[in-house]
Amino acid sequence: MTGPATTVEVTLRVNGEERSAIVEPRRTLVELLREDLELTGTHIGCEQGACGSCTVLIDGASARACLTPAFRAHGCEVVTIEGLADAPGTMSVLQQACMERHAFQCGFCTPGMLIVAAELLAERDDPSEAEVREALSGNLCRCTGYDSIVAAVLHAAERLRPTVDGAAS
Amino acid sequence: MTIQRLTGTSVQRVEDPRILTGRGRYVDDVVLPGMLHAAFVRSPHAHARIVSIDTSEAKVMPGVRLVLSDADLRPLIGDMTANGSAGLFVATYSALARDVVRLVGEPIAMVVADSRALAEDAVDRVVVRFDVLDPVIDMDAAMRDDAALLYPDHRSNVIYRTEHRYGDTAAAFADAAHVVHERFLQHRHANVPMETRGGVADCSPATGALEYHTSHQAPHAMRFQLSMILRQPAHLLRVRCGDIGGSFGQKGGIGREDIAVCAASRMLGRPVKWIEDRAENLAVGGQAREERLDVEAAIDAEGHLLAVRLKMVMDTGAYPQLGFPASGYTNVVRSLFPGPYRLEHYDFDAIAVTTNKGTYVPYRGPWEVETWVRERLFDVLARTAGIDPVELRLRNLWTDDELPRQSVTGVELIKMTQRDTLLDARDRIGYDAFRAEQVEARRNGRHLGIGFCNFIEPAPFMPSLIKAIGFMAAPRTPQEAHIRVEPDGSVTLFTSQQPHGQGHETTLAQLVADEIGIDIARVRVVHGDTQVTPFNFVGTGGSRAATLASGAVMGAARQVRDRILRMAAELWEIDVADLDIVDGAVVAIGVPSRTLPMPMVGVLAYTRPGLANDDGSLGIDEHHAYISYEGTWSQSTHCCVVEVDVETGQVKVLRFLVVEDCGRMINPAIVDGQVRGGVAQGISAVLFEHSAYGPDGRYLATSLTDYLIATANDLPHIEVVHHHSDPDDAVPFRGVGEGGAIGAPAALTNAIEDALVPFGVKIRE
Repeated sequence: MTGPATTVEVTLRVNGEERSAIVEPRRTLVELLREDLELTGTHIGCEQGACGSCTVLIDGASARACLTPAFRAHGCEVVTIEGLADAPGTMSVLQQACMERHAFQCGFCTPGMLIVAAELLAERDDPSEAEVREALSGNLCRCTGYDSIVAAVLHAAERLRPTVDGAAS
Repeated sequence: MTIQRLTGTSVQRVEDPRILTGRGRYVDDVVLPGMLHAAFVRSPHAHARIVSIDTSEAKVMPGVRLVLSDADLRPLIGDMTANGSAGLFVATYSALARDVVRLVGEPIAMVVADSRALAEDAVDRVVVRFDVLDPVIDMDAAMRDDAALLYPDHRSNVIYRTEHRYGDTAAAFADAAHVVHERFLQHRHANVPMETRGGVADCSPATGALEYHTSHQAPHAMRFQLSMILRQPAHLLRVRCGDIGGSFGQKGGIGREDIAVCAASRMLGRPVKWIEDRAENLAVGGQAREERLDVEAAIDAEGHLLAVRLKMVMDTGAYPQLGFPASGYTNVVRSLFPGPYRLEHYDFDAIAVTTNKGTYVPYRGPWEVETWVRERLFDVLARTAGIDPVELRLRNLWTDDELPRQSVTGVELIKMTQRDTLLDARDRIGYDAFRAEQVEARRNGRHLGIGFCNFIEPAPFMPSLIKAIGFMAAPRTPQEAHIRVEPDGSVTLFTSQQPHGQGHETTLAQLVADEIGIDIARVRVVHGDTQVTPFNFVGTGGSRAATLASGAVMGAARQVRDRILRMAAELWEIDVADLDIVDGAVVAIGVPSRTLPMPMVGVLAYTRPGLANDDGSLGIDEHHAYISYEGTWSQSTHCCVVEVDVETGQVKVLRFLVVEDCGRMINPAIVDGQVRGGVAQGISAVLFEHSAYGPDGRYLATSLTDYLIATANDLPHIEVVHHHSDPDDAVPFRGVGEGGAIGAPAALTNAIEDALVPFGVKIRE
């Protein structure tokens, strides 16, 4: 095959594990994750940076993986929806809260929504409803009208807040 | 411990553990060995003759395996067309454009390559020469005598006309105290599921069997049509769906790309994947709702509606969707327009036109314009007559002593509870206090408004409505379920529903668990595989699951339960009436020592011929069909409060309240989610969304930064209140899939107009 002449090797940590792949320079991070690393939990909703379904954390900050060239993530720490829980077969407090509040319907926007919600909750454990809506406002959901997602994030925040005796409730 | 009854409780979703951990399986997650990737060459013109297609350069590009145009496909497959209907012109078309393109984005050629990127590279090297024709870009232009014709053989862009007369409108208008004339235009918008369309076709060169993995609401309809168009024997054709990222009506038809992708896999003997990108989805994935209604209405001095004349024009776009015919929409609008109100004299004329725009597809409550126009009309009439809009509605709603009856269009109205939902909405929103607040706010330069909307949702369509619509062969719609007890006593339900966000893996499992008497964890709901699920043309759509799928599932589950009890009765020589299934075990009432746990039931059913079935066949395997009937209405009042900034025109939705009656609920949290999601789409459609075309027919909203969808910041908390009139029949649940999107546009636009009353503004579009 007479493919493009140049490729780059990208090495990054994904969900705590070192991974690498040899890709074309035009490969996006979301393609790297989904196709090369077989992490299909991150979704492609628009490839225009508008819908937010592909959102991942890069070095702790949310980013659109569809607009990020794969090589830009070289040497970075990336977290995807698959990495939100501490161990396979378990769910984070946020994920549990989403289950309890029936947060999602079709599940396609879910990876991006969970990432931005996790980012918000890492920054503060007492967001107001308006702050949660603001944090989610870069991510589109077509099913829910957002109420249930907002409720789940607030519920998760409540559970993550330290109680009087210092432990998370 | 006794297993609690699950039906009626917000059981956590069976789907959620996989969806919340990134382990769902959507169509783009399907990866098969040797899989190739397709991309399409699409028309940049709204209307043009194809002069030539040169694929020579593309064919020799790196990684390219196949380049196809209509000339290549024509000998191998049939053409596409929509369902017919009396008086309806239905265009026939090919998967890839033949001779003429009729909208921007129409597929002309397909490239199959080793990767999507290489396929897209080669798409750019296909050279198509066009002879550009005049585009027809709106309904008025389409109807002009000198308009360019999309289908010259048909000699007109009008593809359907219908006229209906009920009662005597002329006499009724002669008696009127007030007559209003209004024109209401609903702008074109689209379903926009977060997951676009797509598929992976996998044709085995060894057997010729074709499997199509796709994202679709109705896999059996897809298989049926693929078989016809591809000339593929149906026994060598299987359609499969995994998780589906939303649809809202868009994924119910058969796409031209579906045909091309399957044909390519058959030619190459390798899997071929096509995933629609967002620009394609917005331009050609399907658009909806572009209708104009001219309304003439007469009321008496007390505000009683005497007569209505409607003239409807709908813009169906360039090609008929292979799914639901254009005449279907106008006839549902006609049949449902009277809604829950008294109307005896009614004229309805409709015209459907074809234009160089995206294909009109069903969108959540495809007849929604009947509610929007009727409820807008009531506010216009109220203002004209100087009567409060809530009072005007109350005066026109059927009363209990007038029911049951047939509407003027022949639809059976049974147990209407709209008066209760309207009064409750009025009280909960604090209507009188709001009116005082509104006056006060206006003094301070703030413009608040309130709007109401009543509607009845056929959920599912009842036989009298299907008859009134007048084009379907069979007036009743059946649905089947199949339940199998496995050898370990666990239970598998095969449903013809094709959930895409509705949570049927949970709700249907709740019903099975309760009906049989077992733990929900021992029930698995199987959908999305035509090889094992019962046939159904609709799949999931039309708010049918709550009544029809439930009826089928409950029937099959009761048959399973009966069979299990009869097995135990024979085994123990105890009368069936003395047996029960509790906590997943058969028990003899009053004999605690007698217990037969489900795992043992499974083993016995599969190992003792004659025990489970008299004919000696093994296992427990029950089918049940359930058929639609009258009275299956969900009923709602929507109420919206807005503030309009008269400097900027910005509308802020302050409150949105839904009071609805869908009978009893299987899973209240899922019901609320359906209602809120529909309302969000209705608000978003009014304030943000527009499938806009330029004067040259170019499609203008090709990204989600141009086609705007409401975000979490744009929407209020949506309040949902339930009433529970108990339907008389065995299945007390009604659908709620579409209602939110049907009621919201009317309540919102009524509220905006109410806010702007001091300016005399009318919302007509």
